[in-house]
Amino acid sequence: MKIRSLLIANRGEIAVRINNTAKRLGIKTYGIKTAREPHALYLKYVDHVVDYSDNVDEIPEFLDIEKIINAAKKNKINAIHPGYGFLAESPYFAKRCEEEKICFIGPSASAIYKMGNKTIAKQLATKYNVPLLKGSLGNIRDVKQAKEIARRIGYPVIFKAAAGGGGRGMRIVEKESRIEKMFKIAADEAEKAFNDPSLFIEKYVRNPRHIEFQILGDKHGNYVHLGERECSIQRKHQKLIEESPSVVMDEKLRKAMGEAAINIAKAVDYYSAGTVEFLVDDARNYYFMEMNTRIQVEHPVTEMITGIDLIEQQIRIAEGEKLSLKQKNIKLKGWAIECRINAEDVQAGFSPNLGTIEKVFYPKGKNIRIDSGINNSSIITPHYDSMIAKLIVHAETRDKAISLASSALKKFWIKGIKTTIPFHIAVMSNKKFRKGEFNTSFIETEMDKLYYQEPNDEMLAAYVAAFDFAAELETDRSTLINFQQGKNISPWVLNKRLRSL
Amino acid sequence: MKLNTKKNKVVKDEFIAVSQNNKRYKINSLFSEDLKINNKKADIKIFENEDGFTYLVWKNRKYLAEITEKNQNKYTVLLNGISYSFSIESPISYKRKKYLEKHIEKSKTEAIIAPMPGKIVDLLVEENAEIKEGEPILILEAMKMQNEINSHVAGKIKKILVKQNDSVAKDEVLLEIEK
Repeated sequence: MKIRSLLIANRGEIAVRINNTAKRLGIKTYGIKTAREPHALYLKYVDHVVDYSDNVDEIPEFLDIEKIINAAKKNKINAIHPGYGFLAESPYFAKRCEEEKICFIGPSASAIYKMGNKTIAKQLATKYNVPLLKGSLGNIRDVKQAKEIARRIGYPVIFKAAAGGGGRGMRIVEKESRIEKMFKIAADEAEKAFNDPSLFIEKYVRNPRHIEFQILGDKHGNYVHLGERECSIQRKHQKLIEESPSVVMDEKLRKAMGEAAINIAKAVDYYSAGTVEFLVDDARNYYFMEMNTRIQVEHPVTEMITGIDLIEQQIRIAEGEKLSLKQKNIKLKGWAIECRINAEDVQAGFSPNLGTIEKVFYPKGKNIRIDSGINNSSIITPHYDSMIAKLIVHAETRDKAISLASSALKKFWIKGIKTTIPFHIAVMSNKKFRKGEFNTSFIETEMDKLYYQEPNDEMLAAYVAAFDFAAELETDRSTLINFQQGKNISPWVLNKRLRSL
Repeated sequence: MKLNTKKNKVVKDEFIAVSQNNKRYKINSLFSEDLKINNKKADIKIFENEDGFTYLVWKNRKYLAEITEKNQNKYTVLLNGISYSFSIESPISYKRKKYLEKHIEKSKTEAIIAPMPGKIVDLLVEENAEIKEGEPILILEAMKMQNEINSHVAGKIKKILVKQNDSVAKDEVLLEIEK
C-alpha cells in the first residue's frame, strides 16, 4: 500500500524530523495541535494541522488512542507515525490501527507486545541462545519474593519496570535493608509512567557499557543490522550522549552481537526499525537487555555513519517494500556523536529549567546536524520531556568528532533558559572520555564538575553585573534606549561599547 | 574625587562585585578604556548582535552573557550557560556589608528547598526526628521522574511545611532543619 498521507502522533524534534522525510517522499503530513503547546515549532512544518487546542483533558493528546484514530479517519489519513515515547510502544494502539486499516509505521502489535513484556522477551532470548543476566523469570509478586531472588543471585540487584523504558521505574539496590523502600519507589514510578506497577529484578552489573544495535526488518523476512550505538553517558538511566561506532567494538564482536540482535527480531517476526539493547561488561561479555520497538532518540548517529534515512526505511517497510539493503553493503563510515540538549539546570542537579527561549542560534557547518523542536520564543512547559534539540556531528575519526562537537557546542547559543550544553562541553573535554575509557558510571565517577567553566568566567560575569548596575545609576541623567528587556543603558555608554562592532 | 549632590548625581567609579562564595571583584573605571578588575587592566568589550544576543569579547574570544535575575544590587548572570550570583557594592556599602556580616549571628536553621517544581509523592521523615547528612527526606516527582531529596545538613527536623500530594514550586521551602 502506498502511503499518501501521514498523521504524526508526536511533538518536538521528532515530529519535525518525521515530517521532513515524509514530505521528501511526497507524503502529505498532519500534525496535532494541543492546548499545552499551541505554538509548537512542528506545527509550522506540517502540511495540515489537526486542532485539539480547545481541548484540555487530563490525558495528553498524544496518549489518547481513540482521539488519534478518529483524527486519522476523519481526515482520511493513510498512516500514523508514533515517533518515540507516548504510544510508540503500545500494542493496543498498533492493533487499533490494524483494525481501522490505518497503516501503523512500526512493527506488528504482536511484536510490540512480546518485546514490551520483558518476561516473554527474555524467554525468546533464551530460546535463541542470546546471553542474559540472572534474575527473576517473570514479574515479582512482592518484597518477600524480591528478597529471596536477591539473596540467590547476590547484591547489587536492579528493579526494572516490566513495561518500562527510559530509566523510569528503575532502582538499584545495594543491600537488603534498602530493598523494601526501593521496591515501593520503583513500583510507584512504573505505575505513574506506564500505568503498570509490575517489576522484575535482575543482577546489576557494575559499570557496564550500554551498547545497542540498530536493526531493520521487512515484511518478507529480510533483516540487516546497521551497527551499534554506544549510549553509556547516562544520568539516572537517561541517555545524554550517544555515539557510533563504539570504541570497544571490533568486527568479530560486532558480527556476533549484530547476529544476536537479528535473532531477537526474527523471534517475533519483527519488521520496521528496531533497537536491541545490550549491557557489555569489562571483559566484553554482552547480555541482552531489551528490544525497543520504535525509532530511537539517538537514531541520527546511525544515519550519519551509514547514510541511511531510518524514517524513510520505516515508511517503505510499512508500505510492504522489500529491504533493498544487504548486510555486506552496509559500511560504517567515520564517527558520529549526538548530544541531547535538554532544558535543564546542570548546576541544580539537572532540574528542569522551564521558561521561554528568547533566542536560539545554531552552529552551522559541514557535518553538523541539528534536530530541533524549538525556535525563538518557544515555551518550555512542564507537560513534556525536557529535551529541546539534538546536536549531531560526524567526522572521520572519534577525535575529530569530539573536537567538532566541542566547537559546535560553544557556538550553540540559547538565551532565556539554561541547558545541558555546558555539561556536554565538559564531557567533550574530559580526558577519560576522549580516550574512550568510560562506562555507565562515568558521570558519577569521572566528572568532578558536571559543567564546563573557565577560570576567568566568574570575573567576566562580575563585570556584566557591575556594568548593568552602574549603567542603571547613570540613567537618571540620560535619555534611555533599550538595552535588554527591562535593562537600560545610556546611549553614550552603548556608543562607546558598540564602537568596534 | 567628585561629591554626590542631589542636583547633580555623580557615580563614583568603583564597584565591588561580591560572589556567592564571597569572592570579591573590584572593578574600576567601568566605562572607560582604563577598565581595571582587581587592579589589573582588563580589555573587555560588551556587544549586542543583530540576533539579540549580548556577549563579551575578551582576549579574542566571545562569551555569551545574559542577566537572568536582578533585584536592586543583587544580580544573577548567565555566562556561557553557567549562572553566577553577585551583589554589587560601592566602597561604602561594601564596608557596611562586611560589618553586618561580622556582627550578625549565623542562623541555626537550614531550609530544605525544592530543587525543581514537582509533586510531593512521599514524605520519609517526621517532625522532631534526627536526620543525618545525605539522608533522604522526601520523594519529589518532576517530569515523571521520582527524585529522592536528601538533606544537605545533619540536625533535627524543626518544621515540615509540605504534605503528601502537595505541588511545590522551584525554591519553595519544604522543611526546616535545626543544626
